Amino acid sequence: MSAIYLYPRWLRLWHWLSALLFLVLIVSGVSMHYAGTPGLLSFKQAVPIHNAAGIALTLGWIAFVVGNLITDNGRHYRVQWHGLAGRLIAQIRYYGYGIFHGAPHPFAVTAAMKFNVLQQLSYVGAMYLLMPLLILSGWAFLFAFYLPETLFGIGALWIVAMTHLTVAYALTLFLLVHVYVITTGETPLTNPRAMLTGWHRETGAPLH
Amino acid sequence: MNDPSPGPRRRRRLAVVSSFGMAVLLQTLGATAAAPSATAAAPLQDRACLRCHAMATLAYRDDTTGRLVDLFIDPGRLAASVHGKLACVECHAADYRYYPHPQTATGERLDCVGCHQEERAPTDYSFQAITAQYAKSIHANSDDSQTQGFGCHSCHDPHGFRVSPVGKPLGAIVRDANRVCLTCHAQVRDPVSDLHRWLPNRDAHWTAVRCVECHTPMAVSTDETHRVSHQILPAKESNLTCVNCHSGSQPLLSRLYAYRSKEDLARDGLFAKAVFNEAYVVGMSRSPLIDGLGLAVIGLTALGLAAHGVGRYRACQRSRGKQP
Repeated sequence: MSAIYLYPRWLRLWHWLSALLFLVLIVSGVSMHYAGTPGLLSFKQAVPIHNAAGIALTLGWIAFVVGNLITDNGRHYRVQWHGLAGRLIAQIRYYGYGIFHGAPHPFAVTAAMKFNVLQQLSYVGAMYLLMPLLILSGWAFLFAFYLPETLFGIGALWIVAMTHLTVAYALTLFLLVHVYVITTGETPLTNPRAMLTGWHRETGAPLH
Repeated sequence: MNDPSPGPRRRRRLAVVSSFGMAVLLQTLGATAAAPSATAAAPLQDRACLRCHAMATLAYRDDTTGRLVDLFIDPGRLAASVHGKLACVECHAADYRYYPHPQTATGERLDCVGCHQEERAPTDYSFQAITAQYAKSIHANSDDSQTQGFGCHSCHDPHGFRVSPVGKPLGAIVRDANRVCLTCHAQVRDPVSDLHRWLPNRDAHWTAVRCVECHTPMAVSTDETHRVSHQILPAKESNLTCVNCHSGSQPLLSRLYAYRSKEDLARDGLFAKAVFNEAYVVGMSRSPLIDGLGLAVIGLTALGLAAHGVGRYRACQRSRGKQP
């Protein structure tokens, strides 16, 4: 039995708050985007909810970036390019084949690195590429009346709208995959429990 | 509006307001004369005019049309209007200085461009463009007798007109703008009227957008301002295409939000403005291609993950079965 303290309190708070905001934003965003479809929130309800949740998500994202700068949590997001391809292949091979055949996990969680290479790349992509795009396009939407008519000869609002929509779909996909992959720890609840308690515990029993 | 009558009607009624008629009215209505305080705020040179015209009941019946013509000017509204600092005789003929008003004064025909043709300061409003737009308007070209003598003042009350103040709620801007149209076109809001029945979410449109958003050309040529056009279209040429507004293009947003400004933002604060803004128009983010691709990828991924989960479960069962 091993136990590593991987998730400090601020990080867990940010994580679960972001999870809640993601759900609120998806529900309210879908209600705005597909307004008029039965079973969704009314457009009038959805708009202020989406706007407020978007602002809260922005503040949370800023807190996350600052937290990573001033604590050592940021080291988990530094990609080690050396041997990246080999680790990627091993990880993909494990998820695609090994996991069904009782193969050992090619990556061992340590205090120095808590993410396997696929996790790390997807988290870096989500947090440092998609989230800034989502936030920028969201704020551009909020103050759309200050946008120029055109940007690079194309309607500025259209660029903002399509960016926000594409990134929203991409992050919904991220959420879906994240929720599933997180169950591929030693037991399905190993990783979710770690994000609740802060402690990553493994018994060393055979993997499933 | 206090002065809904068009130019020629004004001319007619002023012709009728002869010295005799006016004297009789003054005798009759003297008891309801405006309180001195009502006109006290007016510029000194206007007080003489407002001594009579600030009387709420000042009116006469037009001999030709039989309609009651209102001659009342609300001093408060006038003072708050864009013309509030002008003396009456800066617009109206100087002969109006005299009472009884001489016949020579009553032939005047006032319109906006008469005064605004040479704007010295840069302005959002190009009156030359407005004149050109109005010349193509149904109001200027209809054969309907009701549009005879139609002019700027038929819609815009020069004694009360003011630019929508910064921070005025969009709903109030829409309501006030539409009230002008509904003064004459009230029948379109008749609950049993078939007009606008085709429009989805009809009531939501009526409270969220101005009549002129659909009843003027969507495309405004580049030499004109982004203000809504003064070319009012006949019903059959009006905008019936939903995606002209419900799309990622900007014309509706630019037109509706022409009233917004940085001061508005500074007053309400960034967050309040962000949470309660009304910039998103349904359909603005719709893209059949991205929606189709996004939903397909998410759906296929969900299926793939479900299959992966079943595979893991079976592998787990198998390995348990092998254990002693």
